[in-house]
Amino acid sequence: MVQGRRLFLSGLVTAALVSSAQFAYAQNTITIGAIVPSSGPFAEWGRANTVTLDMLEKQINDGGGINGAKLKLVILDDAAKPAQAANDLRKLAGDDKVLAVAGPLTSGACEVTFPVANQMKVVSTSQASSKPGVAKANRPWAFRNTVDEGILAKTSVPYFKKAFNVKSVAIIYDAKDAVSTAIATKIMPTIFTENGIKVSNGDSPISFNTGDLDVSAQVTKLKSLNPDGVVIGADYSQAVTVLREMKRQGLMKPVIGGTPLISSAILQAAPEIPVVAPATFYATMKTPKAEKFVSELQPLLRKTSGLPKDIEPSMYDANIYEIVSMYIDAIKKADITGKPADLEADRTKIRDYMANLKGYEGFSGPVHFGADGDAVKNFFIVQGQNGSWGTKVTGCSASGGGC
Amino acid sequence: MMSTYYAGLLADIGILLIGTLSVYVILATGQLSLGNAGFMGIGSYIASFLTVEWHWPLTVALVISALAASMIGIIVGFPALRLKGIYLAIATLGFGEMVRSFFLNFDRMGGSSGYHGMQHISLAYIWLWAAGIFLIVTILERSQLWLELRAVHDDETAAGLVGLNTTHIKVGAFGFGAAIAAIAGGLFAHHYVYIEPGNFGFERSIDFVLAVILGGSTVGAGAVVGAGLLILLPEWLRFLADWRLAAFGVLLILVLLLRRQGILDRPLLAKLTFRSGAW
Repeated sequence: MVQGRRLFLSGLVTAALVSSAQFAYAQNTITIGAIVPSSGPFAEWGRANTVTLDMLEKQINDGGGINGAKLKLVILDDAAKPAQAANDLRKLAGDDKVLAVAGPLTSGACEVTFPVANQMKVVSTSQASSKPGVAKANRPWAFRNTVDEGILAKTSVPYFKKAFNVKSVAIIYDAKDAVSTAIATKIMPTIFTENGIKVSNGDSPISFNTGDLDVSAQVTKLKSLNPDGVVIGADYSQAVTVLREMKRQGLMKPVIGGTPLISSAILQAAPEIPVVAPATFYATMKTPKAEKFVSELQPLLRKTSGLPKDIEPSMYDANIYEIVSMYIDAIKKADITGKPADLEADRTKIRDYMANLKGYEGFSGPVHFGADGDAVKNFFIVQGQNGSWGTKVTGCSASGGGC
Repeated sequence: MMSTYYAGLLADIGILLIGTLSVYVILATGQLSLGNAGFMGIGSYIASFLTVEWHWPLTVALVISALAASMIGIIVGFPALRLKGIYLAIATLGFGEMVRSFFLNFDRMGGSSGYHGMQHISLAYIWLWAAGIFLIVTILERSQLWLELRAVHDDETAAGLVGLNTTHIKVGAFGFGAAIAAIAGGLFAHHYVYIEPGNFGFERSIDFVLAVILGGSTVGAGAVVGAGLLILLPEWLRFLADWRLAAFGVLLILVLLLRRQGILDRPLLAKLTFRSGAW
């Protein structure tokens, strides 16, 4: 009888413990942070990132959360200002106690935010920075779900040469932007020379500044060089000004640039001019995962006020979606509790998960991170003409070749 | 214990306060400088070069960078003597853009790729400099020299007629303002441990002027209020999401409509410090 009572009591205690543990787990919230430029010069990218993250948060919570815990994404605007991005990371890591941070977007913001991530011991993964060496200088907590522009240009330049029989190029670039300057004045000229292409103005590339609305003088000079192809070192918002002016002056030569060129706006600026650029994602790519992502996200983007009515999901939307999905994967697989007491250990587990990631299935195929913190993934050399992008070459950013 | 987030904001306020005081000192003579971000950039690059390449102690590097910027400020101040009002403002704006473009093309210090390698400094170190410079400006405000500065501001011709050397006063103010801005730059570089020419553009010069106008351009303490609000308001308005910067603009206009002289002026400061207004 006594034994039976003991059994009954121990059963009650066990049941109470189990249910309280389940209750605690159900009450648990997994918090992840994001830094996006919802205002300032890259507001379109930042706002689209916000819509993407809101969609992902809803998808996860509608599907039962993460191991029963609710996902909460804290998204902060940095206005593409490095100082604000650094303060955002301090707020997310220090005040909001997030497990990891997606962002910031620009290389300039990453330069000042990644050291803070190392100081605060929280993973920060950029969705867009591609300036060479930014994550490498801030190991072990900094990652970038992007591919170094130097690696991409090694594939895009030979395609450009072959496709358009290019023997000479001329360079025009946005001197105010670090990534654009690096692409146009450092990365591209070296690779052109390696491929036997003459850079007509290698010693004095033509420059303009972010925000310049009239580049007619620069394009006239570009035309006078009579190149077979044109290198535009600029993000899409600035490059459209150059493309429109090229079309106006009748300089209908093929254009090559870096990842910042990829956008639907580029295709509309001068549809007759072929534009070659590298990408790890573009809205019309034909893989089941990408097509599902576009079909879900595109209607949400188009009904968001402040975004163009014909907007398509960008590479940076895909990248930030992948980053947060990787964090969620880490939380599921790496025994992460999300409890305040385990915060430091949980953050370390996410860092180790990211560093040792193998074959994560991204939009362009398997993804992992190299020792320099940059993503190793498939990329595409795409050509935009007559309103759409099409894949011309597929490559992998791994030094050995295969992803 | 203060959160790292607020510590970061406080560091930004300290650096902006120093930059704001650099404009305030020049404005005291009636000259509006829209190029102080240029002096900040010069200080930032020189101090970083000295600490990273030559391993000099930061304090020494800051003093050297302040002296160098001061010399450049005096050189810039001389041609600026021929200009007044809006023309002077545009000339200084041109100087700021010239400095930014110089560093953009100066590959020795990274050019557009920026410059690394500085050691991170503490919040206390930033505020030691901010408080020290604020104290110097406050003492200066109570000196005869300040009265001479204000005399040049109020009526340059009359000031010259009573025997004041208006050239020395105006150029000296430019040199002193440039030195202060350079210290702000050196501290900025060692707080963010990375600098690029874009950090020292026109927008930063506007931030300095805005902080002076918002806080109050007739008292040094106005710079503290202006710098604090300029950093904290956009953070406090985060709940407005995409509208926060628009709301920030509206608030600035409202404040300036209600108090044209800025938030802090002499009578208000006297009330707050329980002193008589006649000082």
